[in-house]
Amino acid sequence: MTLAILCRRAFSDLRQNFCAQVITTMVVSLSILIFAFFTLLYFNLQHFVDRFGTELGLTIFLTEDTPKDRIPSLYQKLTGLSEVEKVTYISSEEAFGRLEHFLKDEKDVLEGVDPQFLPPSFEIQINRAVFQLKRIKQLAGEIDKWPEVSKVQFGQEWIDRLYVFSGLVRTIVVITGILLLFTAAFVVTNTIKLTVYARQEELKIMRLVGATNMFIQGPFLVEAFLQGLLGSSLALGIVFASYRYLQGFEAKSELLRGVSICFIPWHYTAAIIASSVLLCVIGTALAMRRFLRL
Amino acid sequence: MISLESSIIRLKDVFKKYSPDNIIFSGIDLEIEKGEFVFLTGPSGVGKSTMLRILFCAERPTSGEIWVDGVILSSLSNAQVPYLRRKIGVIFQDFKLLSNRTIFDNVALSLEVIGLGKKQAEQRVMQVLEGVGLTGKMSHYPLRLSGGEQQRVAIARAVVNRPSIILADEPTGNLDLQRTEEVMMLMEELNARGATIIFATHDERLFENTHRRVLRLLDGKIRI
Repeated sequence: MTLAILCRRAFSDLRQNFCAQVITTMVVSLSILIFAFFTLLYFNLQHFVDRFGTELGLTIFLTEDTPKDRIPSLYQKLTGLSEVEKVTYISSEEAFGRLEHFLKDEKDVLEGVDPQFLPPSFEIQINRAVFQLKRIKQLAGEIDKWPEVSKVQFGQEWIDRLYVFSGLVRTIVVITGILLLFTAAFVVTNTIKLTVYARQEELKIMRLVGATNMFIQGPFLVEAFLQGLLGSSLALGIVFASYRYLQGFEAKSELLRGVSICFIPWHYTAAIIASSVLLCVIGTALAMRRFLRL
Repeated sequence: MISLESSIIRLKDVFKKYSPDNIIFSGIDLEIEKGEFVFLTGPSGVGKSTMLRILFCAERPTSGEIWVDGVILSSLSNAQVPYLRRKIGVIFQDFKLLSNRTIFDNVALSLEVIGLGKKQAEQRVMQVLEGVGLTGKMSHYPLRLSGGEQQRVAIARAVVNRPSIILADEPTGNLDLQRTEEVMMLMEELNARGATIIFATHDERLFENTHRRVLRLLDGKIRI
């Protein structure tokens, strides 16, 4: 059977069983839609955790006796670290100025206080590309051991919470995602099974007149391929439209500004479509197996 | 594969049982000549349909050898079965037509399966539909036809690819006397053109005045 005959038969079948085909495609679409929305939620949570972490940064306080001529070499050492995006040196005078600015009308309390009483420090912004909560903790520990450093301050408590939270979210998401995937697979394969069963008389008659398994199965597999492709594309299209809508909403809303919603990465999108196609094709092949025996 | 000169169907010591106490055939030996028209009869449930199903490989015998048109059935793999079926036309009591396809498409299905060109297939279907008197109804759907007409469509589908053997399983079971006579005439015509026919029926009136061979199935054996 040539590809042209196969496609002609598949499209003729599609026309003849249009309602069943539409229903199956809708079931595929709805199942994938639920899974895709969940995937979108997962990536946005992950994105949010990553962003939040990078904004925490590190403050490195130097010891009082650190000679001023060591500052440039410490600066160089810090900027040389792969995790570091930006380093800002805050001298004791600058720190004092910040404190005065912070106290505003109450700055009189600092009258007579030596501007050198605050230690000099470095403020570090973490490189977003290499950000990992575990790595920040490790980095802070390493810097703390330098002889010129008196203390490394960072949102230790926040990072710990964030770390636990992101781990929890990842676990919940992976478990729920697997369950959703199984549910989608179950619903899709059973819907396909029902549509194949509804056409079992047709399959039997084809066997009767001497059709080979390939002749019988071919159009069904082409239909399954199209159902998987159209169903998942439609679902992802809806998710994308929702994402664009939320983006517009985000721009208008004061509360959500800066949250920066992201879409499912393209390779995950391609994987969802490919899995959907595979699920439909394998589901159809398995459902047909019993009709292709003698 | 062996080639037998005159026998088109040959059964040697064929047994068929579904369970130890449900034995359908117990050692059947039978030969049917090329071009022969035989009636296969016996009470309901005796195994007439099972015999036909075994001949077109919808079931396998428990033991014994069967030759159909020179092919030993036990040597056939499942993948080879469709090619044997193309040599056999099967007609059922309940017609087994596709209700969502037109009469033309139902008949053309047998030719589509063997990959015959569209034009050639069209010609062949028209010819066969003319033969069964249904040219005017080729664009109708099966459920719009009478029982007799539906059976004629089933016959057309069974013979359109010119099989050497026709297996008819109670083809007149659902028809009145007049439609039964029409079907019998069609079968005679097909036989006259050289097809070997096995006609399974429990209706003795169909063969009471016939010169044809009548095979009676009883207690797992064939009695002539």
